[in-house]
Parts: sequence; C-alpha cells; structure tokens
Amino acid sequence: MLNIEGIVKKHRGTFFATNPANMQLKSFILIFVLFTINLKAQEPELNPFDTLASNVAGINSKIDALNRFKFSGYIQTQFQVADSAGQASFASGDFRPGVDKRIAVRRGRLKLTYNSPANDKGISTSQYVLQVDVTERGVGIKDAYMLLTDKWSGWIQLKAGMFDRPFGNEIGYSSSQRESPERGRMSQILFPGERDLGASLAIQGSKTSNWNWLRAEGGLFNGTGAPSFNADATDFDKKKDFIGRISANKSSASEKIKYGVGASVYNGGFRADNDTLYAISKDANGNKTFMIEQNSFKGHYAERKYTGVDGQFSIDWKPGITTVRAEYIQGEQAGTSSSTSSPRAAVTSNIYKRKFNGAYFYFLQNLGASPLQLVVKYDWYDPNTEVSKDEIGISAANGTKSTGIADIRYDTWGFGMIYRWDSNVRITLYYDMVKNETSRNIPDASTRPTYMKDLDDNVITLRLQVKI
Amino acid sequence: MKKVILTLIAASISVVLYAQKISVKGSDTVLPLTQKVAESYMKKNAGSSVTVVGGGSGVGIAALMDNTTDIAMSSRKIKMDERLKMQDAGRAYKEVIVANDALAVIVNNSNKVSQLTREQIEGIYTGKIKNWKEVGGEDMVIVIYSRESSSGTYEFFKDQVMARKNYASNVLSMPATGAIIQSISQTKGAIGYVGLAYLNKEVKALSVSYDKGKTFVSPSLENAKNKSYPVVRPLFYYYPTAKEKQVMPFVNFILSAEGQDFVSKVGYIPVK
Repeated sequence: MLNIEGIVKKHRGTFFATNPANMQLKSFILIFVLFTINLKAQEPELNPFDTLASNVAGINSKIDALNRFKFSGYIQTQFQVADSAGQASFASGDFRPGVDKRIAVRRGRLKLTYNSPANDKGISTSQYVLQVDVTERGVGIKDAYMLLTDKWSGWIQLKAGMFDRPFGNEIGYSSSQRESPERGRMSQILFPGERDLGASLAIQGSKTSNWNWLRAEGGLFNGTGAPSFNADATDFDKKKDFIGRISANKSSASEKIKYGVGASVYNGGFRADNDTLYAISKDANGNKTFMIEQNSFKGHYAERKYTGVDGQFSIDWKPGITTVRAEYIQGEQAGTSSSTSSPRAAVTSNIYKRKFNGAYFYFLQNLGASPLQLVVKYDWYDPNTEVSKDEIGISAANGTKSTGIADIRYDTWGFGMIYRWDSNVRITLYYDMVKNETSRNIPDASTRPTYMKDLDDNVITLRLQVKI
Repeated sequence: MKKVILTLIAASISVVLYAQKISVKGSDTVLPLTQKVAESYMKKNAGSSVTVVGGGSGVGIAALMDNTTDIAMSSRKIKMDERLKMQDAGRAYKEVIVANDALAVIVNNSNKVSQLTREQIEGIYTGKIKNWKEVGGEDMVIVIYSRESSSGTYEFFKDQVMARKNYASNVLSMPATGAIIQSISQTKGAIGYVGLAYLNKEVKALSVSYDKGKTFVSPSLENAKNKSYPVVRPLFYYYPTAKEKQVMPFVNFILSAEGQDFVSKVGYIPVK
C-alpha cells in the first residue's frame, strides 16, 4: 500500500548528496525508517467482527470482575403507636418517657459482598462480607466476616468474624424478609443483636450434590454478641461458647411443598464478677425463692445452656402459598435479679440461675396470587419455669432473694398484613398484643407499673421498607 | 405540507409508543423454538420487537424475579424456593406449557454403541462405568459431557434418567447445548445429552431402554408423540401476571396452530 519507491525518490537529493560518513548514517536511518514503515504496513487489519468480538470480550471481562461485587441493603421506616407512654417494649425497643407515638428508621442497612473468581471446579473459594447499619441512633457494624470454601469439593466452609449465630431459624432470618416487625421476645433476650464474634465450620453438600439438603454447622463464639450503637462487644472472659446446629431442607418432587427441620445447641457462659450464685429453691417458709447455690462464685463461670428444635413448612396450593414456621427452645440461663438478657459486658452483680423455655409459631398465608400476605404469630417466653403467677415476687425469707419482674412469663399474639408494592417496596401493618403473667405480689412501684394486671403494652406498627 | 409532516411525525411517535417490546430469557432448550416463533411474530406484527436470550432456565427465572425479562423460558418446573422468592418479591406469575421435548443421549458418530439402558446411562453419568467396552463398545475411556447446573436440562436428566443420583465429579459441564454437540462431534469417546431439536448429523443419537433392555426406542418426534420414547418433558413459559396484556399476544401466537407448527419444525412435540 505504501509507495516506498516514491519516498526514496523524494528524499534522494537530501540523503545522498553528502559525504560518505554522513551517507552511511543516513542510509542506516533510511533503511530503519523504511523497515519501520514496512512493518507497520504488514500489521494485519482486523475485520469489524473481530474488532467487535475483541471489544465484547474486553467488556465481558470487566463485567465479570464487577459481578464479583454485590451491594444490597434496605431501609425500614416505621410509625408506631403504643398503648401507654413510656412503655417497655420488644417491638423495636422501649418507648421514651412520655412518648406513645414515634417515627423511626429501624434499619438502614448497606451490605457489600465480594466473591472470589470461581476455580476450575466452579467453586468460589472466598467471600468478603461487610454490612453497616445507619439510623438516627448512629452507625453500627452488623456483619464483618470472611467465608472460606474448600477448593476441592465446595462442601466445607469456614466462617470467621462477626455474623449471625448459627442457632435456630429466626436468628438468621433477615428482618428484610421476616413477616413480623421483630423477632420473638425469647430470641431478643437470648441472642441480643443476633450476631456474635467467632468462627464456625459448616459442612453441606454442593448445590449439585444429593446431600445438599443436609447441613451441619458448629463454632466457637465470644458469647458477648454484636456491638450495639453505644458499646463495643469486646469479650470480657476467656471462655468461648459453643453453638452447633444440624438442619435438613427438602422439596417435594412436584416442587409445590418445601419442608425443613433443625436442632440447635448452645453451651456457654460468662465469668461472674461477684460472689454469689442464686438458684430457685424452697425457703424456710416453703416458698420458691432464690437461695444461695454457691458462695465465692466470683471468677467462676455462670452457665448458658440451650437446646432448640425448629421446623418450617410451605405449600403452594389454591389459596396461595401457606407457610408455617415454629421453634422451641429450653435450657438454663444465667442473669441478674432484674434481667435474663444475655450480657454484653461483664456482670458485676450477683448471678441468678433460671430454667426457661419459649417458642414461636408463624402462620403466613399469601392471598392467592395477590401481593397481600396475612401474618399470624404467637410466641411465649417463660424466663423462669420454676415459678409462676402469685409465686413470683413473694416475700423471701432471710438469706434468700425474691423473684420479680425478670421471672414474668410473656405471651404475645401478632396479627399483620403485608402489601408488596413491587419487588423492592413492601408495607407492613402489624399489631402486637402482649400479655404478661400476673402476680398479686408485684404491686405498683415508683420505678415500674403493677404486674397485678396485664400491662398496657400493645403496639401497632406501620412499616415501609425499600430493599435494593 | 406542515400538517402532513406533523401528522407523519405524530403517527411515527404513536407507532413507537405502542410498539410491543417483549424480552424473553432463559432455557437454551426452548431458545431455538422461541427464536423461530419470534421471527415470524415480528414479521406479522409490524413495530413489535421480541428479544430472545438464552442462559438456562435458572437464569430466566432469576431474571423474572429481578424484573429484567417479560417471559422466562424454562425446561423445568419452577422450584419451591423460586416460588417463595417470587412471593417475597410480590411478583405473581403464570405458567404456560408451550411444547414438549424429548431428550436424546448422543455419542460421537464413530462410536459403535447405538443403544443403552437407563441403568447403563446412570452408571456412566455417576462414574460407575468408565469404559465403552463395559457397555459393548470399544476399549475407550468414556468422556462425559453435561449441561451446567443452572440448566433445566441438567436437572431433568438427573431426575428422570439418573434416578436423582449425583453426577460423577469428572463430568465436563458445558455452558450451552451447541457446545455439547461440538465437543461430542470432535471427541471419539464422548457422551452427552441434548434436546431433540438440537440433533444433527454431526452426532449419533442412541436408542434407550427403560425396561432393563427388553425394548430400545430411538429418540424421534414420532416416538415421543406416541409416548413410546420415555424421556419427554414439558417446556414452559413463565410471565408476570402484571404483564399479561403485554405478553399474551406473543404467548397466544406460540400456542396457535401456526406457532405449534414451528414447534414441530424445530423438533419438539406440539401441545395442541
């Protein structure tokens, strides 16, 4: 294509009308220039399809890299009306004194997930997850963990960092999907914040395996739970808590029924920073009160031991998809005289040991193919199964301690309706009817209402959620 | 003149505004059928546009959940997990069977084996049978090809032919049916499975026995229609109820006599 002869002729006068030394140099330059031009001329020209294919391959490679990152999140804004101002509540926390209506951003989550490129067996061997929660109460870290998958079979996974405790079904069930505004009272008391710091090992067949329906997971955790907005969750003792869970999930051959069962165990505890351990026993008057089980308990470990079973069932039939979920937990919980909540920081008061049980049931009915879903939920939490009704709060004999409001059982019915505006937006209207155990031995006091009757502590929640 | 130009512009805008745009995504098995039907549909309906993309049944149903397709093609029934996710996304959907498909087990043309029992196929795909001489062929290692796990064909084959047993670890997963045909045509000891519509002269389809070797039936349209060939499955369209008005003309077209004629031509079994 290039006219080499023309170029040589054009420059002949300039290059060759000089002395021999210069002539040698110029000849070399000329040959070099011509060689370069010639090389360029020989570069194969890509046809438009090859160019397009090459560009598409380049774009695909960039898209593949971007696809390894996933952003997700949701914002929940809600309006709540309480039965009475300043009431204690497990429906998104206590109402402040004098407040019976409030608007709040319950969750403002943003989650970043990165999956490493799949290996030659199609297994992504590592995952990075970081989730933050931004609300009017501040900024908190919810998840910060890595997930490593074995590169040979994809069956074994190691998770380390801060993540949901692998206990039961409700703890790991995202509140963006959960049908009731909050988890049951028991879940909130035993596992505040749902998450904990630790490491777990899980075994589950790959998606293509016949054993994919079975999963076993176990790990060691601090036991202090995740940090709240106001306090960190640095461990305060050297004991680590064990959490184990085995679960099975299957679908019918017709793919119209799905069912699952699970069993979980928690074996842990925390260091006591005071001298006395109390447990329920009969005092000199024959009443069940807290009596000293062990003196010089300081430095010993107060036990938290739970076992739980759970089941889930969904069926797609004429009225729409029906789902039933249930979970029962029982065990022993160490707490204080006024609380059975699992501690996030060192406990400097005496320790009170209690046997507890609790459960929840969800009944969920999608109304045909409409975007409406009916929600009915019932849960109970009995923090002290050894005392009930008027036994609670009875005057204690010398050397013993009375039971009190921390030993009251609660039963909660919830009724709600969910409207799914579209695949991102959903609106929930929900009514919590809370019924507490009553005792004539817990009359009115300056710091709390009377438990001689059912408290005025029902809550209506209207929640708007946008999920991305 | 101005009026004429304005009228023409207004008419053009109206055509563009009312032009039917439908995107269809999913099963590679249903892909060739939908492409043919879409071509004919667009010719008959000026201004309409039907975009057809493959990727596998799972990909199509996921796109339906994400609202990135109007119709999901699937060679398997929607799973319960997917139903629950659709419910959670507030997306009501409808299911239509547009054709039936027979699945053919194929080998390289040079392979002397021409028939296998279901149990033998299961043995090959689970890794128990490793050499063609174990099933009456040459002394040659069996190279097993399969679709990827996101494919409805992969799951149907596992359910119906492998009696829900697990695929062997050395199975080579291919991203598309065309790639299976190509690989098998170039690999002497290869075996794979494809929808009837993909069969061509580059590969050999095996007769299959579901009665432990008493009778072997070849995968043909006729045998699938008369139900003597057992490996037959329905092919589905799933679409959101909210988009029913938009997609029904196209769905009705594939279910019409003309659409079902394409079903036969492409190599599937008509539903009507």
